[in-house]
Amino acid sequence: MAKFILNGESMTADVESDTPLLWVIRDELNMTGTKFGCGIGTCGACTVHVGGRATRSCITPVSSVEGAEITTIEGLSEKDDHPLQVSWKNLQVPQCGYCQSGQIMQAAALLKDIPKPTDKDIDAVMGGNLCRCMTYVRIRSAIHEAANAIEIKGVQS
Amino acid sequence: MLKRIVYGVSGAVIIGLGLFSFYAWNPSIDPITPPVKSDYSQQVIEQGKVLAAAGYCSTCHTPAGGKPYAGNYEMHTEFGTIYSSNITPDVETGIGSWSEEAFNRAMRSGVSRDGHHLLPAFPFEHFNKMTDEDIRAVYAYIMTSVPAVNQVKKENGIPFPLNIRWLQAGWKLLFADTQSFQTNDNKSEQWNRGAYLAEGIAHCGACHTPRNALGGEKYDQMYQGADIDGWIAPSLTATSTSPIPWRAQDFYEYLTTGNSPYHGSAAGPMAPVMHKGLSALPEHDVQAISLYFADHSGANESDDPAANANLQAAIKAQHTQADLRIDEGARLYATACQACHYSSDELVKGRPLLTLGSATHLEQPTNLVNVILDGVRSDQGISGVVMPGFRDALSDQDISAIVAYLRQSAGQKPWPELQQKVTEIRNQPRFEQ
Amino acid sequence: MSRLPKRGSPGITRRGFLIGMTAVGISFGFPRHLMAAMDPASADGKVLPSEGDIYEPSLWYSIDTAGKIKVNIMRSEMGQHVGTAIARILADELEADWNDVEIIHVDSDPRWGYMVTGGSWSISQSWPVYRQAGAAGRTALIEAAAKKWGISTKDCEAKNGKIISSKGELSFGELVTLGLTRKFTEEELKTLPLKPNQDLKLVGQQVTSLDVANKTNGKTIYGIDAKVDGMVYANPILPPTRYGAKVVSFDDSAAKAVKGYQKTIVLEDASGSVPGWLMVIASSFIGAQKASKLVKVTWDAGKTTDVSEADIIEHGKKLLSDSSKGGILDTGNVKTEPAFESASSTISEEYITSTVLHAQMEPLNALVFKNSDGIWEVHSGCQWQSLTLPVLATALGEDVANIVIRTYMLGGGFGRRLNGDYTIPAALTSKALGGKPVKMVLMRPQDMQFDSARSASVQQLKMAFDDKKAVTAMEHHATAGWPTQVLAPGFMPKGVNGEVYDPFAIAGADHWYSVGAQKVRAVSNDLAMATFRPGWLRSVGPGWTGWAVESFMDEAAHHAGKDPVQFRLDMLIAEGRNAGTTPVAEGGAARQAAVLKKAAEMIGWGTEQAEDTGLGIASTFGQERDMPTWVSCAVQVHVDKSNGLVNVQKLVVAIDAGIIVDPNGAEAQCQGAALWGLSMALYEGTELLNGQYKDSNFDTYTPLRLGQTPDVQVEFIASKMPPSGLGEPAVTAVAPAIANAIYQAVGVRLRKIPMRPSELKSALAKA
Ligand code: FES
Ligand code: FES
Repeated sequence: MAKFILNGESMTADVESDTPLLWVIRDELNMTGTKFGCGIGTCGACTVHVGGRATRSCITPVSSVEGAEITTIEGLSEKDDHPLQVSWKNLQVPQCGYCQSGQIMQAAALLKDIPKPTDKDIDAVMGGNLCRCMTYVRIRSAIHEAANAIEIKGVQS
Repeated sequence: MLKRIVYGVSGAVIIGLGLFSFYAWNPSIDPITPPVKSDYSQQVIEQGKVLAAAGYCSTCHTPAGGKPYAGNYEMHTEFGTIYSSNITPDVETGIGSWSEEAFNRAMRSGVSRDGHHLLPAFPFEHFNKMTDEDIRAVYAYIMTSVPAVNQVKKENGIPFPLNIRWLQAGWKLLFADTQSFQTNDNKSEQWNRGAYLAEGIAHCGACHTPRNALGGEKYDQMYQGADIDGWIAPSLTATSTSPIPWRAQDFYEYLTTGNSPYHGSAAGPMAPVMHKGLSALPEHDVQAISLYFADHSGANESDDPAANANLQAAIKAQHTQADLRIDEGARLYATACQACHYSSDELVKGRPLLTLGSATHLEQPTNLVNVILDGVRSDQGISGVVMPGFRDALSDQDISAIVAYLRQSAGQKPWPELQQKVTEIRNQPRFEQ
Repeated sequence: MSRLPKRGSPGITRRGFLIGMTAVGISFGFPRHLMAAMDPASADGKVLPSEGDIYEPSLWYSIDTAGKIKVNIMRSEMGQHVGTAIARILADELEADWNDVEIIHVDSDPRWGYMVTGGSWSISQSWPVYRQAGAAGRTALIEAAAKKWGISTKDCEAKNGKIISSKGELSFGELVTLGLTRKFTEEELKTLPLKPNQDLKLVGQQVTSLDVANKTNGKTIYGIDAKVDGMVYANPILPPTRYGAKVVSFDDSAAKAVKGYQKTIVLEDASGSVPGWLMVIASSFIGAQKASKLVKVTWDAGKTTDVSEADIIEHGKKLLSDSSKGGILDTGNVKTEPAFESASSTISEEYITSTVLHAQMEPLNALVFKNSDGIWEVHSGCQWQSLTLPVLATALGEDVANIVIRTYMLGGGFGRRLNGDYTIPAALTSKALGGKPVKMVLMRPQDMQFDSARSASVQQLKMAFDDKKAVTAMEHHATAGWPTQVLAPGFMPKGVNGEVYDPFAIAGADHWYSVGAQKVRAVSNDLAMATFRPGWLRSVGPGWTGWAVESFMDEAAHHAGKDPVQFRLDMLIAEGRNAGTTPVAEGGAARQAAVLKKAAEMIGWGTEQAEDTGLGIASTFGQERDMPTWVSCAVQVHVDKSNGLVNVQKLVVAIDAGIIVDPNGAEAQCQGAALWGLSMALYEGTELLNGQYKDSNFDTYTPLRLGQTPDVQVEFIASKMPPSGLGEPAVTAVAPAIANAIYQAVGVRLRKIPMRPSELKSALAKA
């Protein structure tokens, strides 16, 4: 039995302790916004936040998040209005959209740590998130736009 | 924990003196009925609870998912598997019939109530530094506040003749530090408080002090680092290979939050030490311990790590990466690690800079590889934060490429036979807690 | 769920159809995934109910009494925002208020006609159809309003969701409330007056695609998210060879200890899609994963266990050397021999491309079951429903009419899901379990092993020059594994020599340059065909033919001593067959010349470059001559001679795709396509090793990542010509532009992609 807090709610899942968090979220808790891409931590599609930090859920056994606070794309903001979600929509970043939950969750962690990232910072931190549709140019712009929005409006990320 | 100590039993075999058996003999102390809460003041029990935590009693006496203090925590040693004892106040299978005197004797000399020698995995030589009052407090807490559990201790898997308990005595004769705690008058009161805790109840040296071939702590190399349970307990002294010296405030941050941004996170056997152990101590005690170790590390408290050339170099090193088309390690690092392990010009806690981290600068890749394989759980390192484990995701070749790349970026000479080492570390018994 | 009524079934209105879907969904207790259709803008893809009566001017949409317009989209959404673009075409012609438009991606019912999403065809093919449909609605609404007001239709105007006249205005919704029954025959539809292109208002304007919001909050439902009550999970065990492997025996005794493990079955597949496969069935995904690692299987492998990439390339070269092999395309004058015999000089070169994997981000998956009405429901993202259904029918031994493919968003297609073979194992497993719902999700290594890769190719090009170094003839011989041969042989035309060829494996070689006599020959690489199942991959044939043609043009220009841009312009003459015939291709070579000039201007062609830095240019077209999108790519690269690394510093693309329906979406498609081109030029590419692709996951197979992405500048040529396609063409010009730039930078010519640093380094050492 695994216990943790998912998007602010206490959750328990009756799964074996080595089950990757990703599949607990997707299959047991029916939150399908978090995606499966590689299963080995090299694509970022499964990125969620654990304790506020971007974490690849496909290789995180559920036993290791015992008691932790987990946020998925569904819980990133109340009205889908996180500055990144806003800039993502403004610039129409998603194509197929499959990688974008992971991209946004990774970018949210980036902005928390590095509020005004340079292109270099973005390249480095986002380099693990594959986008096969190659929306990279827009991802880069949308992160800058969100960073500016947060700075100007003092919006909390 | 502490499997190295068991090496000592082989020393005992060598000795085998006739007279020795006399020395080795200890009388049994009469059983009692367990004391009750009202026998002690609440304050003493509380004090005992804190000390029991700081001594990680439950860590070593509770297996994963088991009942607290009921024993059978498994320790892998080269001589076989040993199991910790049941120290709940259960009369039949625990220490319920132990008097305070028996408990005190065990804590000071590693002798059981019935007179048999305990394996030296039990760090009595450290507990011996404690005051009678503190030992009494621990006794009071365990006997009155820990629920009794009826659970028989599993048979140790240690073969004859190493399993002959009285041979332990020889080991004690040879190696055990039997001195009580000595105050150092040249040091401050806070320092001495730190020393008392570190040398005594917290038994830091049990892991961080190297041992001789027979498992005795080398007191002349106190805290200079040692192998422990498939991990490396790094040097806490000036011999540390950490690029940034540990100041008292770094120790303090590490011990209270599980992480020092300039050094790394408390993983492996250190995680419960910090999360389940020292965190119970009052703030000033942790400060005292920090001060004590900062003195050993020789760091200058007024130095600003942010201005340290090594920090700047480490940040720069990760910014000037090899291209991922020509370096396998760089490619995997960029793919799997850098999302978290990347720093802009300023360090951010929780975004560990691996070119700076202690694990990258140790003599062996052990800790780095362990963390890559099994990650860091929410109850290790920074509380509630995890690192995934790559055990089932990346091959030994992949992992050694990443490690080699990091090591090189950190400006250190390559670890020899790395891939083979990764294989060995992968296959060693996992430290589980 | 009851089968949806066929087109023309009496008494069934669209409204009834929608209500039917909802009712059945509820009766099954499956909240959302059993919807026959999907609205990518609503929460969880649910199609919103219509209000009151609805009016359907054509198959393609309905208008309800609130004026809401539901546009039926039979193209799959995989990142093109295709629904938004198609709905824009319709709404523009209809004069609808864009805010009233909803899009619905429909299932595989035959009423929709031939369903395929690929070839960059969607917009080009939808353009006439949806404009007619829009015109029909507009006509009917105007007629109804005119009747109501008792005036002539000439005095009424449709505007922004209303019909307006001197009598006032009536909204579309109000008119539907009045009761509209007007139907249009196919013939009538064709004769309806369309708005002049220059009067289009929505087309060409910026718009936020309707599917985007849900792709930022996790609500979009992909095939991998499909779920029904009582489903079991199946994880396959793949055989050592793609074809010919037979299971000799298996032992699942160790798997029995896994929680939830049920059983392992060997698939019997009449369709030949998955020979030698086993399926491990468990109650959870993880259970199936764990169990399948514990099942021991012995196979009789097929014959290709030793085949390597080098074998396929060598075999290709051998095939090309036999001039009797392959189909020769009709390029006008194919008799090149005289020109070569009398040439004062000739050049010939060989170009190679490596095997490329789709590696779409959503691993292949399918959920299949037989519903209570006896209909097989296949829940999965699919690009070619009409090709997949007959294969499913063969595998299941069912009539095609009893199978329906439910629609889902695709987490990337890129051609992988044109080949619906991944639905077969789930279908066969469900059949073996008596129609029980079976969900199969491939792990990444399985997805890659089972890929229908873009085949490696070998191309040999020759050119003849007269004494003034003018081009007098050209030959292009190409061989690769042919996707169309294995998956849709009926789509292969005959060449002028009577031999069939895969048009998708040679298009692009029949370029728009006037080169005198021109011979283009395509040969199927049968060793590739035997070793793996070649697939269509984004940009398909032009993805490699463009590489060869445009690298070769650069080499030819240098041979002729001409500037590479001018050399091309001299041959881009819009005459004869290069004038372009179809409405889409009108303008022909002149339009290619225009994009070439544009790209040259964008990159600053001819400007002085720093040491080891060079400019390169290429111009191509995709996807076929009758639907060409002209592309020119120019790049600035820097070469690090010490390690052979090529750094693309600037990447510009000029494109003529006719009218651009959705400019933002179009730009996104071209950025993505150009970066695919870059990725395949410098980063991607696997190889066959022991009969399998060498790479199995993203630890070794690394498509372009953000850190290596240069800025991409895309410009469209303003045009009033009917739209062509945009999903693929920009892929095709990038690799040759880079190779040409490398040549300009350091004087070394690379003729194989991906261009690896090690190869550039050794080429430099030899130079
Ligand atoms: S699915 Fe977790 S990183 Fe790819
Ligand atoms: S948007 Fe399709 S993979 Fe990123």
